[in-house]
Amino acid sequence: MYKKIALAIAFSPRIEALIAEVKRLVILFDTELLLIHVGTKTPELEAKLDEMIARHGCDKLRIKVVWKEGKPVKMIVKACEEENVDLLVAGALKHEGLFKYYMGTVGRKIIRKAPCSVLTLIEPKVETSDFSRVVINGTQLDITPYVIEKGLEFSKIVKADMVSILNEIKLYGLQMGTASEDSEEEIAQTRRQLVQNEIDYVQKILDHLDSGNLKINIKVTGGKWAVELARFCEKTEANLLVVGDTRKLNFFDRLFPHDLEELLSTLPCNLLIVKK
Amino acid sequence: METLNHKEVINLLLQLAAMLIIARVFAELARKIKQPAVVGEILAGIVLGPTILGTLMPEFHTYLFGGGGNTNIALDGFVQISVVLLLFIAGLEVELQIVWNQGKNALKIAVASMVLPIIAGFVVAYAFPEFLGVNINDRMVASTFFGLAISITALAVVARVLMDLNLFKTPTGLLIIAAAMIVDVLGWIVFSVILSLSETSSGGLGVWPTIGLTLLFTLVMLTVGKGLINKTLPWINKKLAWPGGLLSLSLALCFLAASFTEFIGIHAIFGAFIIGVALGDSEYLTEKAKEILHQFINNIFAPIFFVSIGLKVNFIESFDLGVTGVVVIVGLLTKYYGAYLGGLFAGVGRKQAIIAGFGLSTRGSMDIILGLIALEYGLVSDSLFIGLVILALISSIASGPLMKWAGNFKF
Repeated sequence: MYKKIALAIAFSPRIEALIAEVKRLVILFDTELLLIHVGTKTPELEAKLDEMIARHGCDKLRIKVVWKEGKPVKMIVKACEEENVDLLVAGALKHEGLFKYYMGTVGRKIIRKAPCSVLTLIEPKVETSDFSRVVINGTQLDITPYVIEKGLEFSKIVKADMVSILNEIKLYGLQMGTASEDSEEEIAQTRRQLVQNEIDYVQKILDHLDSGNLKINIKVTGGKWAVELARFCEKTEANLLVVGDTRKLNFFDRLFPHDLEELLSTLPCNLLIVKK
Repeated sequence: METLNHKEVINLLLQLAAMLIIARVFAELARKIKQPAVVGEILAGIVLGPTILGTLMPEFHTYLFGGGGNTNIALDGFVQISVVLLLFIAGLEVELQIVWNQGKNALKIAVASMVLPIIAGFVVAYAFPEFLGVNINDRMVASTFFGLAISITALAVVARVLMDLNLFKTPTGLLIIAAAMIVDVLGWIVFSVILSLSETSSGGLGVWPTIGLTLLFTLVMLTVGKGLINKTLPWINKKLAWPGGLLSLSLALCFLAASFTEFIGIHAIFGAFIIGVALGDSEYLTEKAKEILHQFINNIFAPIFFVSIGLKVNFIESFDLGVTGVVVIVGLLTKYYGAYLGGLFAGVGRKQAIIAGFGLSTRGSMDIILGLIALEYGLVSDSLFIGLVILALISSIASGPLMKWAGNFKF
């Protein structure tokens, strides 16, 4: 599924946990590992990193360390491009305060600009994160068939117990409000049809995919998909959410946050952002 | 506090009952022939008003609506509230997320579908003010108002037509919906600016302060206002009765915003619309709550408003074939070609551009409100207003079959 997984290193207290997490993923997905450090390369830091790599047994892996100087976001994105990375692993904070949308943290910038898929871990730990309950965004978007395909592949490799695909009925309120011109029976029929359409959409995608032994649940909701996904993940105590991203965000997206931006401001669990 | 007397109370209740009953009868008839309810409701008003009832049973009509004085003022209060609520629900229907997702294509189609009718409408009205019946003393504003009135798309009606045609969730359907949402937002911003230019409007602040205030109010409501709504709604949903708490407080918020915009010199309905957008865009306003608000307003207040149109004007006495013909032809052609050319410019393909052209030509809500305001401000004559209502009727009846025809057409 992936050929090269990258991790940006900042020698923060969480680095041990992140290296343990990434090591597990590298073994599971049988990939190369790229460690990126943005900062001046000094003999002390190099020795510290070598020691850490050896301590975690990463020296036995196909590993490459890249040192870059400059702005962190730009350099990390550049390293991912140059090295053809297909999954970047990053650590995240669980809670963000009011008006954070306007400021933009380094993590968010990386997520927005990365040329590859990004796995954001909310609480990386040495004993590694559990991905047993996976939720995939099934909302009707151009990228959704690809997201479901990649989400299932990921779930099979990490041996998830349960995969839920959540699909949202767009403009449910407007459609049902409009349907109130009809008879009771017709309204009930419209409601059933709206739900069925979403199930059919996901089912058609699944028909072309090999889901192995995965237990797959299709869920339908009404509302904005990012918020509904966050709610569903919290309710079902999911530990990985898989969503797609094809759009470059601009100033207006930050002023009127939506979709992915909203999800990033209320990260409900670990988040895999699939990019093509 | 002055109150209605015994006879006036009875009169008001009979008026409301008559309006709701006849609106329901005609809406059901419209439903039987697969037409939007609004078509039936407008026709119901024509039947109940001076045009039919007033001609056939003048005494009964006078008994019901000619009582004058306090009853009619009270009824006008109901109609005003209905208009504010219609704008509120129109705002709720706007989903910025859908608009962002459709992006530039929807914007190009929406803008082109507005610019062409506004320019054409302005030119025609400015060139022939006496023929069309626009106020010659306020020629510039009245002509622009006419252009704007024929440039509006009725989002609620087009949603219904798209659902009936099973096109709602298709890329074309969502493109039309998003473009109609943009038309709504732009239309009301342009409206509030034009109104401030009018010499007949009172309490205005002048053009630039009004433009500034309009944009500032919009921006603040959609950022800080929405932020505050997002902070309060979860508490309301959790701690207060549901949906009682949410319904009463959201309507209170709507009336507050409406009174605020009226106070600062922008029309009340603009405030209702923008607060609708801010509330509707909040992730904490559940779709179920939206559905309830829709049902409550669409089936009680919308009929009162649409029937009231027929009560204001005599559709036979003031009917002018020439004026109606010009309004309908200019309205239909410019709106269609505007959206069609916008579609081609956006590169959506000819077939999709044609369907978008017919879809965005659907009228029958906000355009009539605009026309009515113009009538009340003395900017347009009864004949021109009738032309606008007939344009709304024809376009909302025809858009479904035309979209279906275009959908089946092989290019």
